[in-house]
Amino acid sequence: MLRAQSILTTLAAAALLVLVGLPVLFILLQAVFPDFARGSLVGAFSKLAILTENDRLLMQARNTLMLAFSVMLGCLLFGLPIGVLRGLFHVPGARIWDVVFLIPFLIPPFIAAIAWMMTLQPRGYLFQLLGFDMGRFLFSFAGVAFVMTLNLFPLVYFAVSRALEMVGGRFASAARVHGARPVQAFFLITLPLSIPAIAASLLIVFAMSIEEFGTPAALAARTGFDVLVTGIYTRLSDWPIDLSGAALGSVILMAMVLAAFTLQNWIATRRSYVSQTGKPADMDKASLGPWRWPVLGLFLLVALISVGVPLAAIAVTSITGTISGGLTWSNLDTRHYMPLFQSGSRAAQALITSGWLAVLTAFATAAIGGLVAYIVVRGTGRGRAVMDGLSVLPNAIPAIVLAVGVILAWNSPFLPLTLYGTSAILLIAYIGILLPYPIRYAVARLRQISGSLDDAARVAGAGQMQALRHITLPLMAPSLIAAMMLVFAIASRELVASIMLAPAGLRTVGTFVFAQFEQGSVQTGMAMSMIAITITSGILLAVNLWLARQGSSAFSG
Amino acid sequence: MLRTTTFAAALGLLGSFAQADTLTFYTAGPGGLADALAEAFQAETGITVNVFQGTTGQVMARLEAEEANPQADVVVSASWGSARDMHARGLLMEYLSPNAAEVPDFLTHSHYVAQGISALAMVWNTQSTAPRPTEWADLTEEAYRDLITMPDPAQSGAAFDLVAGLEAAMGDAAWDLLAGLAANDMIVPGPNAAALNPVLQGAKAVVFGAVDYISYGQAAGGETIEVIVPASGTVIAPRPMMILQSTQNPDAAKAFVDFVLSEAGQNMVAQTWMMPARADVEGLRPGINDLTVIEVDEDAVAARRDDIIARFNATVINR
Repeated sequence: MLRAQSILTTLAAAALLVLVGLPVLFILLQAVFPDFARGSLVGAFSKLAILTENDRLLMQARNTLMLAFSVMLGCLLFGLPIGVLRGLFHVPGARIWDVVFLIPFLIPPFIAAIAWMMTLQPRGYLFQLLGFDMGRFLFSFAGVAFVMTLNLFPLVYFAVSRALEMVGGRFASAARVHGARPVQAFFLITLPLSIPAIAASLLIVFAMSIEEFGTPAALAARTGFDVLVTGIYTRLSDWPIDLSGAALGSVILMAMVLAAFTLQNWIATRRSYVSQTGKPADMDKASLGPWRWPVLGLFLLVALISVGVPLAAIAVTSITGTISGGLTWSNLDTRHYMPLFQSGSRAAQALITSGWLAVLTAFATAAIGGLVAYIVVRGTGRGRAVMDGLSVLPNAIPAIVLAVGVILAWNSPFLPLTLYGTSAILLIAYIGILLPYPIRYAVARLRQISGSLDDAARVAGAGQMQALRHITLPLMAPSLIAAMMLVFAIASRELVASIMLAPAGLRTVGTFVFAQFEQGSVQTGMAMSMIAITITSGILLAVNLWLARQGSSAFSG
Repeated sequence: MLRTTTFAAALGLLGSFAQADTLTFYTAGPGGLADALAEAFQAETGITVNVFQGTTGQVMARLEAEEANPQADVVVSASWGSARDMHARGLLMEYLSPNAAEVPDFLTHSHYVAQGISALAMVWNTQSTAPRPTEWADLTEEAYRDLITMPDPAQSGAAFDLVAGLEAAMGDAAWDLLAGLAANDMIVPGPNAAALNPVLQGAKAVVFGAVDYISYGQAAGGETIEVIVPASGTVIAPRPMMILQSTQNPDAAKAFVDFVLSEAGQNMVAQTWMMPARADVEGLRPGINDLTVIEVDEDAVAARRDDIIARFNATVINR
């Protein structure tokens, strides 16, 4: 029994070390030794000077934090109300809304930024339709925070709605019996009990907004609003390349996320949030009654802004003959779809490659993530906090830097056999980058599940593994499945690591679209995005409907 | 089970990568050219070419990260300076293709040679309210206020060459020109594509210093834009092609370089609206002899790169 647990712990620790620890270690080495990539250890710490002598770095760090906090606030504003409604009430079309709010993850951030730009800038689609533009708003701090919020708020929506479903009406009912009014019961009981989930989702929002590159690069550059990640990209993509400087910048980002992680951990563990104790719960949600229509209106409004507008801009752009031609019927043209549909086209290859990579990544991250979460919450070993902290790091490291770490680690000439130069290296990088999602979701979920459920099973004669399989795993499954869908969505369009790591000759959806924007036609890039978004959301909808028929849903308790 | 299969597949791939009849080619744009060259070369020689295409920055970052164990055989970048730098670090193999005889002397070197050439130009949206400009300095006029974009010299090697070239040709007057553009609310949104897109939709009217071939191609595709090269002169951006010293496949690499510089290869380059490197191959657009080319002392400019970028940032971007 004890052996089983130690084997599991070793397995999880090994996976984390290889997938996350190794690249991070090589980034740290690169930060310390400027010539590390050339296999030399001379000039240690000579680069550290840029930390102290550079005011710009401080300004970038301040801007990064400002942006991250604004985006967190924005995500609460957008995600919390609809998340609460979805979690506590019967919202008409709930399953459809869940898939709709996954779509922001399917749209690559830099495409969303371009879509907003083409909509709001002077003479953009808004101007062509209604005669006014919102360029001033878009190319400002508020505009950048706004677009990034729309990319990320679903994290809060899913975390809140799932957590509230689990806390359910039972505790609130108990409060009501004791004389609390409904509003009191919600704010004193239900909401506080879902704090771990909300804090966990905000941590991911924080980490993702300080790491996200596409939106600040497209919008913030216009306003002179510099963030750390744009500085890191500049070091990595402008001749001459400065690997060490980029690695150092990433170390600052990692420090920020570790600080946020410590805070979140403190919030989540300083008291008990157990709400799933095994007592039979009345899972019925409240009916909205006459409030149905206003609530539906709110969902529709949020969906329209966050999904409708960017998707419409992408769709419209993909079917215009020329961009300068604008929104006229005579400019309607599907020719930019043609190169995608030729048999054996590179577009088809890219779709297939991204498809199997995303599926494998989803399963692998869920398996490893579930294991790590179980050990972090239920285990007793000393390395638990380290494992937990390690698992959140990939979200802090800009994907391009993690990719460099992967190259440094896996392309070493001393390795007798390497996966570098094969498509498997992409899988390794994707798993490393996306592991935080299942771990954060599963850890938050486990903190709500009482350990006494396990104990009861053990008393009844089950082994530890049996208890895990029949009790804990089924209870964790909903959040793991939700995380898998997220991972699938993001992996299906991953760009930055793919550009660095894809073996020559291999294309993914992300690199294909990016190449079209950079050198080909914007419309073909948008057309490919459209096809990828349609296929991926179709798959997610099908999975969700299948789960519904199985009697559970990815997004319900 | 699934993962075992993947690993097996990966190992299979590994095997095929090590074979002698494949070549790994890292290249900056234009899109489609590398694939077309690879396919034609394979049809002719049976050698498979695996292409990695990115921006010059992405290509260079990848080369740098792989330096302990290089993967590429042949590299094309969009920045002549990057080839000089790699040569200075001893990373390039000496090779002068027989087909390079028709390439002008200043575009060949013992270790690298131009694949094609682009020039820097103004790109004007013909539907815009602003008049058609003819000279760089026109854009400081009131008619262009808030209507100009420029690629960031820090992110576009070509735009950097333009700034350095204007400085070489005009001295301090070049910085007055840039200050005038900044005073006219010019924006510097990022690399080339980022500077061009606002002009396509009409949010802005002119790009100052766009890489020309992309715009020629888009104009041919029906976009209402015109590529204008000032008579006072502009800089050209030759794209160096080089073989890495570390190649395991020198013969195939040489054959590939020969092929790119063959008439067939150069015609494919011409199809992308670049100027072919070979003087005897016709381009689809004005060639080097139709332009007033500003000479730039590459060595002096490379040494001052950080200064020039810093001064540009202080003058134009205010950072």
